[in-house]
Amino acid sequence: MVYLRSEEHLERWLDDNDWEPGATLSASKMNELSREWWGTRLDSDWRPRPPDESQAILERIGLTGEFWQLV
Amino acid sequence: MDAFDLDVRRHVYFSVVANGRPPSTTETSEDFGLPEPEIADAYRRLHDAHALVLFPDTTDVWMANPFCFGPAPHRVMARGREWTGTCAWDALGIPAAFHGDGRIESECACCGDPVALEVSDGELVRGAALLVHILLPARRWWEDIGFT
Repeated sequence: MVYLRSEEHLERWLDDNDWEPGATLSASKMNELSREWWGTRLDSDWRPRPPDESQAILERIGLTGEFWQLV
Repeated sequence: MDAFDLDVRRHVYFSVVANGRPPSTTETSEDFGLPEPEIADAYRRLHDAHALVLFPDTTDVWMANPFCFGPAPHRVMARGREWTGTCAWDALGIPAAFHGDGRIESECACCGDPVALEVSDGELVRGAALLVHILLPARRWWEDIGFT
């Protein structure tokens, strides 16, 4: 998962590496996801998060569809 | 994941926060007063459970996500220390994990030009126009967690 300056840079990067496009988010959306995804990581009572709870986080952020299916 | 492995995992993460690096199995064995092979087995189980990531064929911690201990272009200043994020998502995950502010210095994957992001009070106040690209669909992320 990488940062890119613009759509133009994204397209050039994919072309240069002969990669199929995956999914693109704004950095703001990724920050929103990060707050939910990583916010409990340092909790002293952390437990592994079941896949359905992780999937629910993605869905709350609006990341739905086949690409975002964890299992 | 049993209680012992959770204890070991907690110790690794708390050591990361306190020291800026993960403890070796030798250090953790000394802290727990247990033989090193027992701790090494716990590290391997945590790796298999995706609760830690070890460097290949070692018990050295590569990632205690979102914190990374190998080379990566995503430097994160948070909680008074410089950290490394494995990827664009993990880099933003470090201030998120701390529930604090953070500055990220990274690069555009296309041109290598520097990019900067800043999180303040949970919001991205700098770098919001940047894009994040994920090449692999979610169910393939753990095939090679260093390349997503």
